[in-house]
Amino acid sequence: MTHFTSPNMLKDSLLNQKYLASDELATVVYLSLQLEKPILAEGPAGVGKTELAKVLANAMGRELIRLQCYEGLDETKALYEWEYAKQLLYTQLLREKLSQTLSDVSTLREAADRLEKEEDVFFSMRFLLQRPLLKAILSEKPVVLLIDEIDRADAEFEAFLLEVLSDFQVSIPELGTLKAVHMPVVVLTSNNTRELSEALKRRCLYLYIDYPTLEQELQVIRLKVPELSPKLARQAVELVQRLRTMDLRKSPSVSETLDWAKALVALNASALDQQTLETTLSVLLKHEADLQRARQQFFARPSRDQRSETDSFPSAPWRN
Amino acid sequence: MERRIVEFIAALRASGVRISLAESADAFRAVEWLGVTDRETFRLTLRATLVKDAQDFPTFERLFPMFFQNSDPPPLQNILEGLSESEAKMLAEALRAFNLRLREMLERLLEGKPLSSQDFQELDNWFNPSHFTDLRYQNYLARQLENALQFPELRQSIQELVELLQQLGMNRQRVAQIQKALEENRRALQEQIRQFAGQQILQNMAENPPQKGNASLVDRLFQNLTEAETRQLREEVRRMAAALRTRLALRLRRAKDGQFDPKATIRANLQHGSIPIELRHRDHTLKPKLVILCDLSTSMRYCVEFFLTFISMVRDQIRKSHSFAYIDHLEYISPDFERMAPNQVIQQVLRRMPPGYYNTDLGNALESFAAGYMDLLDHRTILIVLGDGRNNFNPPREDLFQKMAKRARTCVWLNPDPLALWGTGDSDMPRYLPFCDLAFQVSNLRQLSDAVDHLLCHPVRGG
Repeated sequence: MTHFTSPNMLKDSLLNQKYLASDELATVVYLSLQLEKPILAEGPAGVGKTELAKVLANAMGRELIRLQCYEGLDETKALYEWEYAKQLLYTQLLREKLSQTLSDVSTLREAADRLEKEEDVFFSMRFLLQRPLLKAILSEKPVVLLIDEIDRADAEFEAFLLEVLSDFQVSIPELGTLKAVHMPVVVLTSNNTRELSEALKRRCLYLYIDYPTLEQELQVIRLKVPELSPKLARQAVELVQRLRTMDLRKSPSVSETLDWAKALVALNASALDQQTLETTLSVLLKHEADLQRARQQFFARPSRDQRSETDSFPSAPWRN
Repeated sequence: MERRIVEFIAALRASGVRISLAESADAFRAVEWLGVTDRETFRLTLRATLVKDAQDFPTFERLFPMFFQNSDPPPLQNILEGLSESEAKMLAEALRAFNLRLREMLERLLEGKPLSSQDFQELDNWFNPSHFTDLRYQNYLARQLENALQFPELRQSIQELVELLQQLGMNRQRVAQIQKALEENRRALQEQIRQFAGQQILQNMAENPPQKGNASLVDRLFQNLTEAETRQLREEVRRMAAALRTRLALRLRRAKDGQFDPKATIRANLQHGSIPIELRHRDHTLKPKLVILCDLSTSMRYCVEFFLTFISMVRDQIRKSHSFAYIDHLEYISPDFERMAPNQVIQQVLRRMPPGYYNTDLGNALESFAAGYMDLLDHRTILIVLGDGRNNFNPPREDLFQKMAKRARTCVWLNPDPLALWGTGDSDMPRYLPFCDLAFQVSNLRQLSDAVDHLLCHPVRGG
């Protein structure tokens, strides 16, 4: 069915897409492909949950269909909608043809009966606006379906989603039941802003993606920003890891580390001195309070007078 | 192996992880695909299929090695083998100094013989550890078993044996070697006992699953709850909160279809040539904003924890909630909820603000609220106070409370004391009561859930 025969093979193929997968991630994804179950990926923001779906689609050579959830999302936005305007337009344009068809009838009842026979013209796929879920179900080629930030959608949408996810078919009253041609690979992501229902969790394989370890994060940087010198990369990652241990309103995530690494390359930085940090720290920390806290921590003047160089800052393990 | 997995699942369930039949079936199917040969893959397979909440990972990680590890006892070394004839003689002579039981134990250590299943059977008969159904008792049970096997005395005896051997003139280096090996063997045996204790408890847990849906607990007074009952009730709270959330969502949904909105309808239907195909309605019910003041003194603990659990479970149906805790002073605790579950938050807050004896001071708390947070209260806010209104004869500052209640849309008081006690002793409840739009007695979970239900599903306008 899929061309992955082991978790390791999947891991390598994700690595080719420049996505560093942990053993856990590879195992869970492999299982979900074999068992045809959706993956529920949870974890802090910016650790690569959405990215996982993207690279998985690339690695499998499939199209990615994305459904971004938000509060108030409903079936018409997620599944399908009749295109009223187009229907109206067609009725207008076909008015002549309609009167032709109905010209030889004598009674109103007969006209209505005849119109009823032609009804399916107006309720056909032609006028059906396909939203992501229906697109994934009807797609001729197998696809990867990403349902992003499911925790932002309302509880009732979650219940509706259950029905779709359990057997991949939808009933449209005017058209009948539509069944999936191919089982899509489904990835759901959640930032855990609210508790998901037990029923939804039960149907999924659970994957928790946490912040990476120092070595993992370093590898990610080497993969994605190879231009950054190894020494600087290590210092940068060490600093980010240290920031994560601090009590911040928003800890820097992997995506922010990557942005920062790119910024360092763009600025042609050769060392993490005070000046570079001052100018680029805002890439990592997005709250003024956090920034101030980090500055206090890193740029605090030491009480000892061992300091000779004015540029490099004290008490930092990544001093050049 | 299948049996083992089933036992493992039963133990996980007994430790409070929710696993459905469908999930355990998934686990078996997944294991079929990936096999059991690679332990790490096997662990990840089970975890991905069984555990659907990151909070349950620690439980899983603690139980997994107890079920799936090479169940060989830890390695023991045979000391006797390496001894020369004269040394063996000396040892035999030295051993004569001990009583029978200790000698047996020492010989076991010297030979490096692990405890057999027979030995454990014997221990089992002495002890009947079947009433231990919580892994936290593992170390306790292990120590009990060690005591039964005279481990404390054994430690002493090893020392004595070493001294005797020295007196008998054995090579000093040799003695040190024997002592080291003996100590290592002793530790290995202890580890074996610890594992045995853990497995016994797990078996008990699997055989006696905790009673589910204990209806009587819902009616139990908060102050009479034991620690174990609280854990059962937490589960119950989650269930009730899930039901509440569905009701709330429905209410909001129905409310959206309330009043017809002509302006919006015309605008929306311009694209259809002003033929009103889509009807628009006003949403007239807005999600409420909450400001919660919680008394964290000892008597109020569970009540507050359950209430905050309710609120955090339905947080997607609430626009915003600000929680404050007070004992003698006020603290803003909402930020803690972003990272932790409510019961952890409360423990954390209690660490910061230790409860003393009779030091509750609501008046002081109201003062600091009025000084710093008055702007949180507006015409959409529901002000909720969870407290017994017992002020230890401190000034009640009901004037401030009146101001706060006036600013808020609705002011609600939840009090765990029975109505008859309001106003007795140091209770200032009657002084606050005139400014509350609603007051509930919440001395057990049923009353609490009714109150929350009433509060959120049937909001009243203050007047």
